[in-house]
Order: sequence, then C-alpha cells, then structure tokens
Amino acid sequence: MHTQKSAHLQSQLADDPEMAELLDLFLSELPKRVDTVTNALRERELQTLRRVAHQMKGSCAGYGFPTIGAAAGSVERTVEQGAPLEQIKGQVDELVDLCQRALNTRKSAA
Amino acid sequence: MPSLPPIPRLTDEARPTVLIIDDSVDVHRLLKAHLKSEELEFISAFDGLEGLMAAQQHIPSLIVLDLDMPSMDGLSVLRRLKECEKTQQVPVIVLSGQQNPSDKVATFDAGAIDYVTKPFEMTELRVRVRSALRMQQLVQMLAQRAQIDGLTGLWNRTFFDRRWSEEHARCTRHGHPVSIALLDLDHFKLVNDTYGHPAGDMVLQTVAKILQRESRHSDLACRYGGEEFVLLMPDTGTQEATALCERVRSSVEFARWARLPNLRVTVSIGIAGCSGVCPASSELWVEEADRNLYSAKRSGRNRIVCADLSTGPTWMSRTQQG
Repeated sequence: MHTQKSAHLQSQLADDPEMAELLDLFLSELPKRVDTVTNALRERELQTLRRVAHQMKGSCAGYGFPTIGAAAGSVERTVEQGAPLEQIKGQVDELVDLCQRALNTRKSAA
Repeated sequence: MPSLPPIPRLTDEARPTVLIIDDSVDVHRLLKAHLKSEELEFISAFDGLEGLMAAQQHIPSLIVLDLDMPSMDGLSVLRRLKECEKTQQVPVIVLSGQQNPSDKVATFDAGAIDYVTKPFEMTELRVRVRSALRMQQLVQMLAQRAQIDGLTGLWNRTFFDRRWSEEHARCTRHGHPVSIALLDLDHFKLVNDTYGHPAGDMVLQTVAKILQRESRHSDLACRYGGEEFVLLMPDTGTQEATALCERVRSSVEFARWARLPNLRVTVSIGIAGCSGVCPASSELWVEEADRNLYSAKRSGRNRIVCADLSTGPTWMSRTQQG
C-alpha cells in the first residue's frame, strides 16, 4: 500500500492485462478532469464540482484507485453539506494531489 | 402416440442485450470491459431520456441504470420503464453512489431487481448481471409455457386473444388484409366415445400437425379449446385464406389413422376475413368466424364458410364431398 506521503500512486489493477487499455485511457483523461475540478472551484461552480466529484467517486475505484475515489467522495460531501469554501478547497487539494501522484507514476513507468 | 409438434419459438436465441444508462462514461467502459467474457451486446445511453428511448427501441434483456443522473434521475427513469407495457418486463439493476437505505427501498418498490452501490466490486457486479439474465430467461420460458397448449404444442387461447387484438389493430391501422379461421372437428364426441380418449387425443395432435404443416411461417395456429382450433392469417385476404383452409380440410378428411383403419375425421371451418379497410372490432370478427363455423356445421359439416367483412356477402366454398 502506498502511504499519503509517497509521490507515487499505482493502480491496484496495474498488473491486470485486461485492464491495461482502460487504465491508460483513464489516466490520459485524468488531467482534463483535474482541470475541470480546479476550474469549477475557482469559478465557484459548485454544482459542476459536485457532479464531477460524484462521478469520480463512482468510477475511480473501478480503475484500481480507491483512495482517489474516496477523496472525490469527500469533495462531494463537503459541497453537499454547504461547507465553507476553504474547507472544500482543502478536500479538492487532496484530490488533485492524489491524481497528480497517479499521473507521476504513469510518467515514471513510461 | 405421435410426438408433439415443436414448441413455437417466441424469442430468438441471439446474444442478450444489456442497456447501460449512466452519465459517467467511465461506468460504461468499466462495465463493458468486465463483462466482455459474458457474450453480451451493449447499448449505451448517457442520460435518462436517451435511456428510455433506447429501452423502447431495443427492448434489452437487462438494464443497468444509474440512480444519480442530472436532468432525469434514475428513479424517474425506472418508474417510467415499469409503467410502459413494452419495457416493464425488462429486469433493471440499479447502480447508486448512495448507501442510503431509503433509496434502496424506493428502488425495489419501483420494481428494480437489484441494487449495487458504487464503487462496485466488478466480480460481484458480473455475477449479479449473470444471475439477473438467468432469472429473466426462466421468467420468459415460464411465460412462454403458459401460452402453449400442453396436448398439441400449439399456442393456446390466451396467446391467441392477445396476438389477435395486436394484429387486428395493426391491420386496421394500415388497411392490410387479414383473416381468421375457426376450425371445429365434426362429431368429435363420437371419436372419444367409440375409440376412447387416447384416440381422441391422438386425433387432436394430428390435426394440430396438419395445421402447422399447412399454415405459413407468418400464420398463428392455436388450440382454441376442446376440439376447436383457430388460425390467424395476417396479410391474407379471404381467397388465400380459403385456399389454405381447404388444404387443411382435405388433409384432415383424407388422413388415415394408425391402428384405427375405420376412423374418419372431418373438420368444419368458419372464416372471417377482410381484403381491405374494415371497421369491425376484433371481438366482432371472432363472432363472425363463429357464425360462419355454425353455418358450415348446419349445412352438412366438412366444409368452409367464409365471409369478407369488407364487402359483406357470405358465401360457401365447394367441398370435396359436394
């Protein structure tokens, strides 16, 4: 298991040959999602933020990234609870950080 | 005893179709990847309305439906699917990001067969899909069995009534010709009384075979009850229907029966048909066929009486016996 401190985050399904293609697709689209999340936060479009977070919560575990899914779930929850922006930002940062680590892992593997 | 004619097939044996309704493209990709080995066809819809339309159009074997979608939510989609006659039999597995028990209750109340929370374990989802499809197959098989007459293997009256009202509506709408024929074995009670019920059963089975042999793929041969049969002939005018029924009538008359060399069986037939636009209701149509059957009986049996509802006059066909 990777700790929160690690710079890398590998998919639990990285060794599954059947998942290779899907995983690749997921990671190639991940930067776009990260952009959507950060833009939504900056523009304070909280519904968009909630929407994307909700989708990531549902799907990231399917790609072998349960920690990203859980972080997305926290973003969704704080938005739904109407938490202060500062708190939402904290959760988004965590989510973005995890995504970044997954992307770093991919780069170093390539 | 002769073997039963083959059971008519209601559904084709094509690969089961699974409709996925989810706004997240990831869910579509993951499901398809993990269900690859199941020999399924997939249809994708990315919102509720698109999903409803796809369900109407394709009538899939299974629907996997996301609960939390923008615009139309999954629960509304589910309710509409269950309200619509065409789609209400299709099993629906609901996917949800919520662990909320009241959501589960609402979903099952609305008619879902399963509820899976996201993020889902793929192996688990796979077996749930498999089990839903198996259940669906069994339900279909039972429904089909309930529409088949056990003795003759023909469709039964319940099935005829349903198909006839559909076919009647279709032909009336498009002004297509259509004919139905009621067939009743002559003096059948005598066959039973003289040769016993097993012989009577054999006669019914053989007549059923003759009906299947003489009718075309698009026709529907049913056992209407007792010694009565009904033949539904879509896109068939009275002339063609009479010709077909004449083949049935003479086949029955000239049939020879194993172990019962002296047995002779004949059939009387009443046809109600229409070669063009016809305003008669489906019930009236059956009554007309019945009336013609009665005329055939009264005028000596072993003959056909046919009426064209679009033109009116009733006429009697020639019979081999004259």
